[in-house]
Formats: sequence, structure tokens, C-alpha cells
Amino acid sequence: MRNLIAFLRRFQIFLVFASLQIISLVIYVQFLSFPRSQYLTTASNVTAKVLTWENDVTKHFDLSKNNYALQRENIRLRERLPEFMYTLSAGKVKVDDTIFKQQYTYIPGMVINSSVTRRNNYFTLNIGSKQGVRTNMGVFSDKGVVGIVHNISEHYCVVKSVLTKDINIDVIIEPIHLAGILKWDGHDPRRGSIDGISNDLRIKRWSRVVTRGGSGIFPKGIPVGKVERIESIEGEPLWNVVVRYSEDYRTLQRVYVVKNLMIEEQQALEGQIPPDEEEDILR
Amino acid sequence: MNNLTKNIIRFIVFVVLQTIVFNQLEIGYGFHLMIHPLFIMLLPFELGVISLMGLAFLMGIIIDIFSNTYGLHASSLVLMAYLRPIIFKFYGPREGYDPLKEPNVFDMGNRWFTYVFGILLLAHHFWYFLVEIFQFNQFFFILQKTIFSAVPSFLICLLLQSFLIKKSKSK
Repeated sequence: MRNLIAFLRRFQIFLVFASLQIISLVIYVQFLSFPRSQYLTTASNVTAKVLTWENDVTKHFDLSKNNYALQRENIRLRERLPEFMYTLSAGKVKVDDTIFKQQYTYIPGMVINSSVTRRNNYFTLNIGSKQGVRTNMGVFSDKGVVGIVHNISEHYCVVKSVLTKDINIDVIIEPIHLAGILKWDGHDPRRGSIDGISNDLRIKRWSRVVTRGGSGIFPKGIPVGKVERIESIEGEPLWNVVVRYSEDYRTLQRVYVVKNLMIEEQQALEGQIPPDEEEDILR
Repeated sequence: MNNLTKNIIRFIVFVVLQTIVFNQLEIGYGFHLMIHPLFIMLLPFELGVISLMGLAFLMGIIIDIFSNTYGLHASSLVLMAYLRPIIFKFYGPREGYDPLKEPNVFDMGNRWFTYVFGILLLAHHFWYFLVEIFQFNQFFFILQKTIFSAVPSFLICLLLQSFLIKKSKSK
């Protein structure tokens, strides 16, 4: 016992150092994959308030650009209204309006804090569980996909953006519907890459990349970007497809959170599939 | 103004500056300005290493909360606080440090400050980017980020001291 106390006293500085390191690294690793509380993130009330004050000043820097983007989106939507179209046929048209049921609704939000140069970048929005935001909801802007809700509090939420390590959004390359997974390597906030596309397929440059909508987080067809170049990976039969994002994340302000009204039905159905044990062994 | 209130005010000033001003300056190309290590550097000489690490952990966690890094700043600041007495001993004068002085650039001289704070800042930044990226095939990217961030951070820390610290009257 006395030896133990002597040992502890001798190495107490190193032991304190090691325990503090372990605490902080454990918090880091845990919160990267699954945040257990809102208090260590910008979703907490105090932090988000301070960041809102800060944003009240800095939001004006990109205001004209963002207003223009919203105006363009309005034009795009207005062009679809029947009042703005010229009727070609004079005959009556029968509309069957029960074949569509609404699956997605959108909650508007504003980015109050963002970063783009770290390895894992998160955006803080000024909407939270009171407005109906839940974790694992998709977030997009008028120009492109933004990310997935990571952590929520009553009035704020933190979004894991496409500029993070394990974002893994399923996307398709448009004209031929090639499915892949969106990744980010941490270098350039304007470019990402798509994983898992076999290199016997031919991909045209500047073909559009949109979300696949398979997991029910995003609706189908939200733009992600365009294919900028295609590189071969050494030793693997895969392409590394470099995507140029259509959204400029450095000046992002107005976003929409996707609320899938049928997500529970889909998850309950998919939960019945038994986990594949062989796949786990192979991994 | 005694030492305690001075350091409490400095703590708040550094946290506010880092979270509200320097975290929002995103230049790209790996530039990432971090000035809060200067607070750990400027704490008095006679402070024990355990309380140094405690303060570093507290400050790191507060900055983590504001920048969504979940313990990354805390980890690298604690490492810096752990290394501080070792580097101080290595570069210290033979008769020990004068307790009336403060480890800033005016009291200790340009040369001493550049060596000691340079090493500590490089260690802090290197650890930060190493844990953040954590891919060993990107080692040169980690080094590039470390150099590109540490050099401008060092220059800004030099500048900040002329705003925040009154020069001692003996000079």
C-alpha cells in the first residue's frame, strides 16, 4: 500500500496528464459518432445565444448574395405555377389528385455558426425540437445538399455537414443512375468524392450528381454537384469520382430541414430484416 | 490589480477572442488561427503544473463547446500545459526565474520567447491536427497545416501582447 502511494505521488503529474487526455479523447471519439448530450456542442442554449449575437453582425456580409439566391429559387418555383403557363389545348384536362400523397415537408432554418476548414465541419441552425427537428433528418439549401442533423436542443440544432469524415450520403450520377456514397477527404471545401463506382463504367464529365433518396433522409433528386474529374485508384477496380459541390458552403445562410412523414413506416419495415452475420465476419 | 483578477480577465478575453473572432476567420489552405495557447503561456512562473493542466482543460473544453470539436482543443492544450515546465526548465536561466517577472515577450526578451513559445505552439498545433485528421497517409497534410497555422498564430500572439500587457516600468 505504501509503495502504491509512493508510486502515485511520484508520477502524479503524469497521471493527471494522462487522465485528462483520456477524458478529452473519449469525449471526442464518442461525440463524433453519437453525441450523448447537447451541453458540449453549439446546440446548447448559452453557446447558441452567444453565437446568435455574433451572427447578427456577420450575417450582413453575405446578405445580398443570399437574397439573390432566394429570389432565383422563387422564380424557379413560380415558373411551375399553372397561372404562369399558356394553355395549349382548349379541351378540359382530367386531374387525378389522389395519386400523390405528401411524403416530405420542410422546416426553414438559418445557419448561425459554421466552419469549413476543419476536418469535421458542423453548422448550427436556429431551429430545434420545438420546431419539429429530430436527429438524422436531412438538411439542404436551394442549391444543394448540406448535411444531416447530428444533435438537437430545444431551440437549436447542430448539422453534420457534407464536409465531415463519415457523412456517407447515398447519391447517384444522373443520366445512368450510378449509385455511390459521398465522402470528403478534408482538403477542399468545394470538392468531395464518390466511393464505390466500378471502373468499367463510363462516366461523362459534368454530369449531375443528385441524392438517391434510398434511406428516407433526403427526397430523391436534391442536387449535390457535378462530376469534375475521374481518377483511377491504384490497386482497386474503382473510380475516384471528384464532385464539385453546387453549394458554396462558405456563405451558406438559409437552409431547409427535411421531415419525412413516412420514415417510421420505412424504418419499421427495414428493422424486420435480420442482420447479416456473414457480412460482419467478413468485415 | 492583483494577479488573480488579471488572469481571470485574461481568461475571458482569450476565450471571447478565440471563439467569436478567430474561429470565424476561415482563410482556407490549412490556415487555422489559434491564439488561446498564449493564455497558458502567460500564466505566472510559480504556478504548479497540475493547476496549469486543470486551467488548460477548462479553457479547452469551453472553446470546444463553441467550435464543435468535442475535446480536441482540451486535449492539445493539456499537452501544452504538461510540456510548459519542461521547456521552461530547459531554456531557463541558471539561478531560476525571477518570480516578479511574467513569461511574456517584454519581460523575458525576444529570443527566449521565440524559442519557448515557438516550441510549445508547434507541439500544440501538431497534436491538434494529428488527432483531428488521424490518418497517417496524410502526414504531410498534417505537417502543412501545422506550419501554416502555427506561424501566423505566433505572429498574432506577438501582436496581441502589445495590446494586452503593460510593459514593466523597469524598462
